[in-house]
Amino acid sequence: MKTSVWMLAFCITAFYSCQKVIEVELNPSSPRYVITGNITDRPGPYEVKITSSINFDQDNNFPVVSGAKVYITDQNVGLTDTLTEVTPGRYLTHVLAGAPGHTYKLVVALGNEMFSSASTMPAPIALDSLYTQPAAFGDGTDIVALYNDPAARGNFYYLALAVQDRPSEEIYLHNDKINNGAGVTHVLNNDADIKRGDIITVELQCIDTDVYDFYYSLDQALKQNSAVISNPKTNIRGGAMGYFSAHTIRTKSFTYQ
Amino acid sequence: MLLFASLSGIAQKRYTISGTVTDKATGESLIGATVSVEGAHEGTVTNEYGFFSISLPAASYTIYASYIGYARYAEKVVLDQDYKLKVPLVAEGNTLQEVVVSDKAKNEAVTSAQMGRESLNVKQLASLPVLFGEKDVMKIVQLLPGVKAAGEGSTGFYVRGGGADQNLVLLDEAIVYNPSHLLSFFSVFNSDAIKNLTLYKGNQPAQYGGRLSSVMDVKTNDGNDQSYHASGGIGLIAARLNAEGPIVKGKGSFLVSARRTYADAFLGLSGDSTVRNNRLYFYDLNAKFNYKITDKDRVYLSGYYGKDVLAFGDVLGIDWGNATATLRWNHVFSSKLFSNTSLIYSDYRYKVHVNTAGVNGNMLSSIKDWNFKEGLDYYLNSSNSLHFGFNSIHHTITPGIITASPAVSDTANSRTWENAVYVSDSWKATRKLNIDVGLRLSAFVVLGGDSRFYTLDDDRQIVDTLRFASNHVFKTYVNFEPRISASYQLGHSSSIKAAYARNAQYLHLYSNFITSNPIDKWVATNNIIKPTVADQVSLGFFRNLKENTYESNVEAYYKAMHNVADYKDNAQILNSNEPIEPQLLFGQGRAYGIEFSVKKNEGRLTGWLSYTLSRTELRINSVNDNKWYPAIQDRTHDLSIVGMYKLSKKWTLSADFVYYTGNAATFPSGKYEIDDQAIPYYTGRNEYRRPAYHRLDVGAVLKLKERKRFSSELAFSIYNAYGRQNPYVITFQTDPDDPTKTQALQTSLFRWVPSISYNFKF
Repeated sequence: MKTSVWMLAFCITAFYSCQKVIEVELNPSSPRYVITGNITDRPGPYEVKITSSINFDQDNNFPVVSGAKVYITDQNVGLTDTLTEVTPGRYLTHVLAGAPGHTYKLVVALGNEMFSSASTMPAPIALDSLYTQPAAFGDGTDIVALYNDPAARGNFYYLALAVQDRPSEEIYLHNDKINNGAGVTHVLNNDADIKRGDIITVELQCIDTDVYDFYYSLDQALKQNSAVISNPKTNIRGGAMGYFSAHTIRTKSFTYQ
Repeated sequence: MLLFASLSGIAQKRYTISGTVTDKATGESLIGATVSVEGAHEGTVTNEYGFFSISLPAASYTIYASYIGYARYAEKVVLDQDYKLKVPLVAEGNTLQEVVVSDKAKNEAVTSAQMGRESLNVKQLASLPVLFGEKDVMKIVQLLPGVKAAGEGSTGFYVRGGGADQNLVLLDEAIVYNPSHLLSFFSVFNSDAIKNLTLYKGNQPAQYGGRLSSVMDVKTNDGNDQSYHASGGIGLIAARLNAEGPIVKGKGSFLVSARRTYADAFLGLSGDSTVRNNRLYFYDLNAKFNYKITDKDRVYLSGYYGKDVLAFGDVLGIDWGNATATLRWNHVFSSKLFSNTSLIYSDYRYKVHVNTAGVNGNMLSSIKDWNFKEGLDYYLNSSNSLHFGFNSIHHTITPGIITASPAVSDTANSRTWENAVYVSDSWKATRKLNIDVGLRLSAFVVLGGDSRFYTLDDDRQIVDTLRFASNHVFKTYVNFEPRISASYQLGHSSSIKAAYARNAQYLHLYSNFITSNPIDKWVATNNIIKPTVADQVSLGFFRNLKENTYESNVEAYYKAMHNVADYKDNAQILNSNEPIEPQLLFGQGRAYGIEFSVKKNEGRLTGWLSYTLSRTELRINSVNDNKWYPAIQDRTHDLSIVGMYKLSKKWTLSADFVYYTGNAATFPSGKYEIDDQAIPYYTGRNEYRRPAYHRLDVGAVLKLKERKRFSSELAFSIYNAYGRQNPYVITFQTDPDDPTKTQALQTSLFRWVPSISYNFKF
């Protein structure tokens, strides 16, 4: 429930409040590996990226991690692809072709450390249509995506919004725990300044439950809207952070009039 | 009754003086007034209904009664039979202007065995500066030693390291589950309606139970039974009106108090139509009736109803409120046996309404209690008074029914039954040694019905779900809660005290947000959530100086808490039927500290200084490598200084200053990149501190010209007078001006909040 954020926003605007940047003395932290990988139902190659964490007060230059051995196995057909590091920290597949219903296993070996993950690509769901409406909160414009949740339970959705190729930083998620099997009218609140003639693109991803949990907890962590402040729930085992997602993609674009 | 008859048979040739102490002008009974006997080392204080009883050998005596702010009363009594006494006390000075720091009798703080008790006389609030000029007893409570404010402007509080849900808040004996209004900036207690507030910091007498850390017992006024009166006030954001008077003169009275905020009126001035359509207000209503049926029977009916409305246009609305009703019957069985029987209903509920293109629905959540209480005070002899009784509460918790089109979630109401029997004795062992000893036996019954009971594996995943028939007793927890405290007097004006108490708590509050929130979730004990139990030992030194003008004390405490919960990483406390059990982790807590307090009760300058040095830590299974870590409410230093100064007949000045160490907090020690965004990286829970909090408030009260029966005053105040930007929320984000950098952003509320209010009385 995001109401607490709204309530906070409400009371801040309703009363006096002020914000300032403060100096906080933060401890240094030992670097941790961050692995992000995606397999989609579009043609490959697919990418796995390995970086490492830095201290909070450093500049946002995240060190890439080279020299890893990276494998992805399509467990339904027993095919293992050994990825090649094309630029430092970026590893690409060669032969895999993502397909709904298949489970993919990721293995990353770095020195003596071993990380693994698995993700199953759900069946694709069509993105039916897009339209805009005045924002429910504030003066902006909301984008509305329509799609139909299937009768079977256990569907998880991640939507990515871009205006003129500028991706929104908002994380849009939906699941069918309530209103299973119904049409979904998904309102994408955003703070983009949308002008006439802008091309608006929405990508609808069907993701698995662990990836949904990752994005959900990432959103909570960024908004500090959870009972405790903690790192997002990764689906990578072995001590690395990040995620590995096998998902389908359906995209629609339109020009804002 | 046979037992009592034989006991009183032993005390032959002794007679009992019993009666009530009241305010002569209003007929209000006075709680905690001192009744003493000249020529005998005997004395007592009135109970919560103003009743007292003293047994003495047959002789002639002078009986004195006193209460702070009232002239002393004396009556000669020839005691050759049981004697009934009605003691009407005459108030000194103008009550509207009165600044009194209540202490019961002049040196009752020293002599009484009770430790960790703070008593507030509502009159003392009159001149203290407050946020938006709205007097609030809970804001005053936060200035007491060992009590910490939950946050900027909040009425929530932590007592001796306990959580915000470990305080039992009672309004005329009814449990108030959410004692706050308007996102907790105001409390539900309308100070016009309140007679007395007592806070017990863990050493509560055996008649109280159900919370680990404290009891805040609020009693409302009975209403003037002599003549009709009205009082009220108009402030910047709220207006109040209070009316009282006799139903039958000297026999019964009524009191009605109402309050409504109009903060949202300012929203209407906004040019933005979305802002204009927002709503933000609360109102509340207190009503009370009492009637003396006979000399021995008196009934009270009191009720509270309050509601908050918060709406963001038509899109999102939240409204919440408490309703309580208390029916009480006082019966004097004999001059030595006083009984009170109460039937209490209390209900807290909130509703969230969402109406957007995507969702249209309501979510309703509530906690509803039926509570029956019987308490007896038996004044056995001059050195023992016994208190015993029982209490039985049926709780129904609706965790959140969602009615959205088209789906409706099924209910999972949890039904539980909380019972207790207790007995305690206030024993004057010797002239110097007073001992209060009590035992409470509590039993909590978890009933079947809609509730689902889960079995979790080691990863806290649900592996089994059980449901039972509604009359099925799924589980019963029993706890023995012994309580003992003793004082030993050293000389005339000092004493040492020691106490031990065990408390058990069966209902817990879980929250998805660090500050308190109307949609926090009350959950009853079940098979996974076990009762929390606290053992507290405390030791104190009490000394009054300059003939009781100054009261000082030092109290040290150590509290061990068992089955304490903290949240699992990424926990989401959703207000729905989603099981909460997998989100919780359990372990132990410990809190220890030392509290210093000096009060000045008399003279032109009155006030107090309190300082607490303390620590509160948790050790929870699988959090921070199972090591002890500071709880959120852990604050090393906490200082409050409160002063009121009577400048002239017209003007009273006041100020308060608070300083405390920032709360323990979780800040990132690193960051990493996901999908081109910098994400904070946390290495442990509560391993940092927020900046220290400090604030000065100043106020002044101007008494306006008095007419025959009409008096009025203007109260001015500035909250946060030097405009300190205290942290409300600290977030970490990418620098909007330089995407290669990240920064810490602090949001503060309430700098320099001035207010003015007008109060009247006739």
